[in-house]
Amino acid sequence: MDKEEAPRRMTRFSASTSTSNILHATKGNNLETLTTNELLVGGDSISLDDIIANFPARSSQILEIARLLGPLNSPLLPLFMYGGASTGKTSIILQLFRHLNRPIVYSSCRTCYNQRILFESVLNQLLLHRKNVANCYTNAKRCERPSDFVNFLREALTSVINNLKEKSNKLVSGNKIHGGMGNIIYLVFDNFHLVRDWDKSSTILPLLFNLYDMLKMPEVGLIFISGTSPDTFYSNMGYVEPIPIYFPDYTEGDIRQILLRNQANQKLYSSFLDVALRPFCRITRQVGELSNALKPLFEKYCEPLSDKGKGVIPTEDMKRRLFNHIKPHIASSLNDVFKVSSPASSKVKVGKETKHKGSPKRSERFEEIGDLDFHMSTSAKYLLISSFLASRNPATLDASLFDSKGGSDNRKRKRKASEKVLEKKEILEEELLMKGPGTFPLERLIAIFQCIVSVAEEPYDEEEPNSNELGAECSNGSLISDVLLQLSTLCNANFIFKGKSCPIEGSTRYRSTISENLALKQVARSLKFPLSKYLYRN
Amino acid sequence: MAPSSPSESCPQPLSTAENDLQPFFVLHKASHHGKDRTSAGQGKSRKRNKLSPILSQSANKPEGSSTEECDRYMRRKMQIEAFDIVWTKIESTIKDVLRDLNASVFNNIQQWVMECFDAIRLVGEPSIAEATRSFPVLNNTTPLKVYSALVITRNIEFVDDIMTFEELGLFLKSHGCHVTKLSSMEFSLKNGIAGCLKALLREFIGSSFDPADIQTLASWYREQDNYNKPLVLMINDLERCCGSVLTDFILMLSEWVVKVPIILIFGVATTVDAPRNIFPSHALECLCPSMFMLVTPAERMDAIVESVFIKHCTTFNIGHKVAQLLRNYFINQDGTVTSFIRALKVACLLHFSMEPLSLIQGRVIVEDQLRNSGLSPETMLKYMEELPSHASYNLSRNKMDDQTNKSMAEGLSELLTVQKLWSTVVLCLYEAGKYSGVRLLDLFCEALNHVLYPSRDSVCKKRDEKDHDLSLTNDPCQQYSIMQSGGYICQIVRKVRDLPSGKLDQLIESWEKLTVDISEIYEKLKILQSSIRCKDGKSSLRNSKDISKRGVSKGSINNDKDSRMSNLQAIAFLDDLVRNYLRPIEGIPFHEIFCFKNVEKLQLVLIGDPRRTIQVDLLEFHNMLHCSCCNKSGKALLPSMHDSSIMYSLAQEHGDLINLHDWFQSFRTIVQHTNKRKQKPKHTPQPKKRKDTTGSEDQNEASIQARFCRGVIELQVTGLVRMPSKRRPDFVQRIAFGI
Amino acid sequence: MAPATKTNGDNSHIVEALNLLRSRICDTGFIFKDSPDGNYSKLKFMISSSVAEACNNSILLLGPRGSGKLAVLDLVLQDLLIQYPDSISVVRLSGLLHCDDISAFKEIARQLCMEHQLLFSKAASFDDNSQFMVAVLKECGLAHKSVIFILDEFDLFAQGKQRLLYSLLDAMQSVSSQAVVVGISCRLDADQLLEKRVRSRFSHRKLLFLPPSIEDSQRLLVHMLTLPIDSSLPSDYAVQFNKKVQNIIEDKKFKEIFTNYLNFDSSVKHLLRFLFYAVSHMDMQTGFLSRENFETAYSSIQRQPKLECLRNCSILELYILVCMKKLEVKEKSLCNFNAVMKEYKNIHDSFQTSDYYARNVCLRAFEHLIHRELICFTDNRGHSLSVEFRPVKLLISSAELYQGLKAYHSCPAILQKLIERDG
Repeated sequence: MDKEEAPRRMTRFSASTSTSNILHATKGNNLETLTTNELLVGGDSISLDDIIANFPARSSQILEIARLLGPLNSPLLPLFMYGGASTGKTSIILQLFRHLNRPIVYSSCRTCYNQRILFESVLNQLLLHRKNVANCYTNAKRCERPSDFVNFLREALTSVINNLKEKSNKLVSGNKIHGGMGNIIYLVFDNFHLVRDWDKSSTILPLLFNLYDMLKMPEVGLIFISGTSPDTFYSNMGYVEPIPIYFPDYTEGDIRQILLRNQANQKLYSSFLDVALRPFCRITRQVGELSNALKPLFEKYCEPLSDKGKGVIPTEDMKRRLFNHIKPHIASSLNDVFKVSSPASSKVKVGKETKHKGSPKRSERFEEIGDLDFHMSTSAKYLLISSFLASRNPATLDASLFDSKGGSDNRKRKRKASEKVLEKKEILEEELLMKGPGTFPLERLIAIFQCIVSVAEEPYDEEEPNSNELGAECSNGSLISDVLLQLSTLCNANFIFKGKSCPIEGSTRYRSTISENLALKQVARSLKFPLSKYLYRN
Repeated sequence: MAPSSPSESCPQPLSTAENDLQPFFVLHKASHHGKDRTSAGQGKSRKRNKLSPILSQSANKPEGSSTEECDRYMRRKMQIEAFDIVWTKIESTIKDVLRDLNASVFNNIQQWVMECFDAIRLVGEPSIAEATRSFPVLNNTTPLKVYSALVITRNIEFVDDIMTFEELGLFLKSHGCHVTKLSSMEFSLKNGIAGCLKALLREFIGSSFDPADIQTLASWYREQDNYNKPLVLMINDLERCCGSVLTDFILMLSEWVVKVPIILIFGVATTVDAPRNIFPSHALECLCPSMFMLVTPAERMDAIVESVFIKHCTTFNIGHKVAQLLRNYFINQDGTVTSFIRALKVACLLHFSMEPLSLIQGRVIVEDQLRNSGLSPETMLKYMEELPSHASYNLSRNKMDDQTNKSMAEGLSELLTVQKLWSTVVLCLYEAGKYSGVRLLDLFCEALNHVLYPSRDSVCKKRDEKDHDLSLTNDPCQQYSIMQSGGYICQIVRKVRDLPSGKLDQLIESWEKLTVDISEIYEKLKILQSSIRCKDGKSSLRNSKDISKRGVSKGSINNDKDSRMSNLQAIAFLDDLVRNYLRPIEGIPFHEIFCFKNVEKLQLVLIGDPRRTIQVDLLEFHNMLHCSCCNKSGKALLPSMHDSSIMYSLAQEHGDLINLHDWFQSFRTIVQHTNKRKQKPKHTPQPKKRKDTTGSEDQNEASIQARFCRGVIELQVTGLVRMPSKRRPDFVQRIAFGI
Repeated sequence: MAPATKTNGDNSHIVEALNLLRSRICDTGFIFKDSPDGNYSKLKFMISSSVAEACNNSILLLGPRGSGKLAVLDLVLQDLLIQYPDSISVVRLSGLLHCDDISAFKEIARQLCMEHQLLFSKAASFDDNSQFMVAVLKECGLAHKSVIFILDEFDLFAQGKQRLLYSLLDAMQSVSSQAVVVGISCRLDADQLLEKRVRSRFSHRKLLFLPPSIEDSQRLLVHMLTLPIDSSLPSDYAVQFNKKVQNIIEDKKFKEIFTNYLNFDSSVKHLLRFLFYAVSHMDMQTGFLSRENFETAYSSIQRQPKLECLRNCSILELYILVCMKKLEVKEKSLCNFNAVMKEYKNIHDSFQTSDYYARNVCLRAFEHLIHRELICFTDNRGHSLSVEFRPVKLLISSAELYQGLKAYHSCPAILQKLIERDG
């Protein structure tokens, strides 16, 4: 019965703190009302068993951390929690501190994206500083150098720890030891693996790892949370490793529990999971991605049911029916990573657009603009194609591919050549193709562009019957005119990558980054341009 | 897309006019200033010609009286103001059209934003203490995602959409959101995440912070007045942003989304899966995207054409060739509505500056604005008298016979009515064309084509005598002229032929709406309707009979025969309209007042095509500088030519690599060639040449080399050759190839 | 189960004992109090003599990490501060914080100011600070006060131009000043890093700290884990506890674990982690340590991260890994996503596997592998080339991969076959 007592006392305690927060939230929070309670996670208290219940398949980790954190006021060697994305590292540590009701200083190295901001956010929390209009959102201390940081940190910590101590002394005098928040303060660094990418990581990493030895304060506990294992942190100068705590990814069973956690109709959902979960787990085991993929699928699953399957208890044959209903959708959504929903009115036509993209369902005339569902001027299209060719074909073949007569007949010549050469040359070319698109100078692009345009003009004219000589003249004449303009447009649209200027030539080199699909299926078709004829290998 | 929008492609009106008119002046004037052939001289001439178009215009006007000056000044003033009136009218109409086009999408977006915001609030509204905390809010629900809209501006050029996003921003602001716009500049690799956060804070809070972190934003957001509003962040060119930076940014937002409910709006130029190419999977995972489509530029274009050229065809109109040019420019060059509008504006300006009668138009517009009614011959007359040209005309011939004047007025009013008819017909055709996806722009071009028009007439005349044997042909609708004349109209009509009856009825109704106030067409429509109706009655009767005796198949055959009949009648109706009323404006007297036809000038203004012109000028230079020395010789290179043109024509003989030595040799032979036959009088006062006539051989040699070098430099400057690279020091590379 | 239920009052002494042990482990002073080797006495002798004789001195403490160099030094200083209360002032620098001269001199100035109740101006320039230091050294020399400079991570100070070291040692050349410079480094060749001008001024006294032998560390273990009989703890409990500990240490299995653990790394710090883990897993009901605690500690500190990573992978990711391994075996010149996909397709064509997925799904799996750091890019030109073209390499040996696949339950048989075939 004493067991009951403790949490209730805690509730009262933390409740009072939270109310106080809200209080000075309302009256434009002047600083002196901020107490060390700010450092508590807050919220009404939660028992260890609840935490374990909330995080399926994490009981061992939770207990381990709880043990390592130890009883009140017992010092702690640095901990290092690591595990993949969405394995509950952060939320578990926070919940634990909510349960233990001890002061922490949390800073995520993602939000604090460089060392200065990290330092200053830590100091802000320790100095109970909150940004607002009054202090025009400035930080408590300005601190860029590690040396300053350590000094400031020492000062701040000592002050905080002192008033923690007297607080707990008060509690002891009121002989309730267990209600107190103790006099150890824990520094938590989340997303710690990101620190490696910072520019000064060679100094900041060892600093943070050695912080405990450097401070020599037994009242400070360090907790690092990282996405990657400690062995990925080894740098040229070693340091003493902290104590590792490993969060493995969830197994299929665990994922099942997690997904079931807050579902309206448990039975139905589990029957759904029986069908859907396994195939998805073969692809990825990240809970986030799985839930993303499964949510729309479950809606599909419920479609045949009345009222979206609120109250139904699935019978066997119903399951079978639903299974047959869902099977095709599973197959399709397995291979889809990124779904774009389209709300409200535009849904219908959008659906059409995306479904048969590049299917020749529109009329001849409209095809000139349409078929790729975004507008692009003809010369830009030609330029795009020529850039694609320039990236795909080896430069040596340009002469043979584009002469005055166009690609048609000298294709045979190329054939003979490629028959002469041996397998290994082919392999080399294949690898070259694998290496991805090559770069090319502007001149080559323009040359190819002009060849293409001059070749493609005649069919282009036949294609539009009533464009009289003016139209034709203007089209071929000025297609060439503002290549550079079009080029910049294409660069902006990410279709062509503009590289650095290479030192010898002094000229910028370009690389086309569009997929063959886009180039072939859509652009070339919309121009009725025989692209495959010009491709060196296809 | 008002042309006075701050996008780079359309500067302020008058400056546009001047800048763009430059090339035209140079060429125009160059004929007079044949003597100066150096580029410097051209520069001079250009400066001299910075006068307004009217000067050049009035140069070839017959009368040369003393009142010329003030008169011209007067006219010029009136022209300018006329232009202003007309253009403001057109501009405003365009604005309205575009706004209407976007309205629905904007509403959708706004609804969506609100839904997202509510969804976020549902998860939890942290107190200020929690919100400004450094660690995430504790809740057992699955982590929230960053709601983001992909607004697909289906045009690879995003010039048009700058304004669209501006307006969207204003729209959302007015509906109670905090809105900011970041450009892709903020998401550059150089500045990194710090740069874009700084920009974000600057936009939202106003002052800039040197260590910019999102916590600041959180605490700002929680302050009394800012709360309860969604934060909308617009990034209007997703493709340009640096993927890695944007990824970091989004990941950071996703950590804070509960505390700082930011909703992203991306402008995507190309396709829906552009984000898939930019973001890695773990960034995609924390986006919750939904897609909105803007109207395609083609649709915009049609809307503009409809409102400007067809609905208000009497304000300002363009000839067939001009329309063709604009269309090709839109389809081939850059498909931006912005540049189309600018082109239109230039055309308008040219029109007013060149066409003296165009003054009337301005007055007409004013008249319309006062009391919008068709104008009577009398008012027309009034304007004519105020016309300065007319006044001078009076001066010259002291007596004016109002006979001509009357007829003129009649002609004008008649022109207007014809135009009305024309526009109605075009609209009708467009209605029909919607079933076969014909673009109004194309239809418009064809409808303006006055070459086709008489052919139609002739065809139908031909039809009259050999009517009978045509009727024998199995396809009865071959007899209609519009079926023979190919093109869009033909295409439309074909579609109409195969139209199912239900759609046909819809079509006819829409026609009714269109033609209701044009009496002569309306009557014909009535006839058509009545005939079709009675047929339907019959067919329905027969159908009932057929069903009673189960001859369903036969019935159906009859049925579709009937529907074919009604289709034929519809075609007949169209054919009739096209033959009688689709009279292109250029065929009508006095059309010059409203109609701009001068393609060449507009084309020069629109498509300067510098690379090409430079080459042309270098090769056929004496078209420009009509010097007596060179023009007699056809292709042969004469030493009297300008050095750089000599060298360029020599360069033509080489491939894309030019051996400097050979080049120099051939150049020297040509130049030396002069010094042999020196006696030939020379009109090219080249200082060096004069010197080397007297100077000693080596000096001569040196000077030739110097000239050669200068020539090479000039060609490099004009961007025709590239200097030797380190690898091949003795070769120059040709950059510009065939014209 | 552990700290949550410590609320019931009867095991408060257990909590107390636990706290005591934990705080011992975290307190370096306690550990090295009577460390067997003579470093403590040697160091104390050196410093105290140089303080007593008012002469300059410079010492290097060398030894691997976590061998208690700094701890010992601290102990020495404590004693000396008691011994000569007013004739010693200490300045502590760390190479991690002050490796650049400016901040180093600033820090020195700051600490000296605090020492002598002077007010320290942040705005002081580099030269001001260095001159100030020299001046203070003189003053101290005149006042027969010796300043002890402690340079932690000494090797980092030896980077760059070594101006700090030079000016320090140079200042010490003057007769008047008396100072002791103690460098601490884990690099045994630390003094070789010094420039000539610095080395000439450096008196080469070196103390070598070696990790303790097995016996010593066992003695240390006992020393750490025995509870004091005469304390607030109930004595019978303490006695019993100590007996248990003795039993554990005598135990064969434990010895085995212990030696294994120390063979891996025998430094004191390493040992402490082991102890800490074990102690914090002490059973709170009985309140005694058991061998199991140490076993769990051993297993959970000695990890095999790569294998863990493999265990996390999904089937598809395993496929990709195997494909890359095959490419490696084939000695293909480059290996990027496209090549992997080609290989993947080949496998599918030849074996008709059930799981053949679309390209973008595979790309996502590929990115997962990069995040797990089982593979990494070999080039650093990120944005210019899209992911599927950038060359990558495996970060996992074929042996590990093989082992991992074996361990992986529900791993497709084909993959194991493929790996075995490649050897």
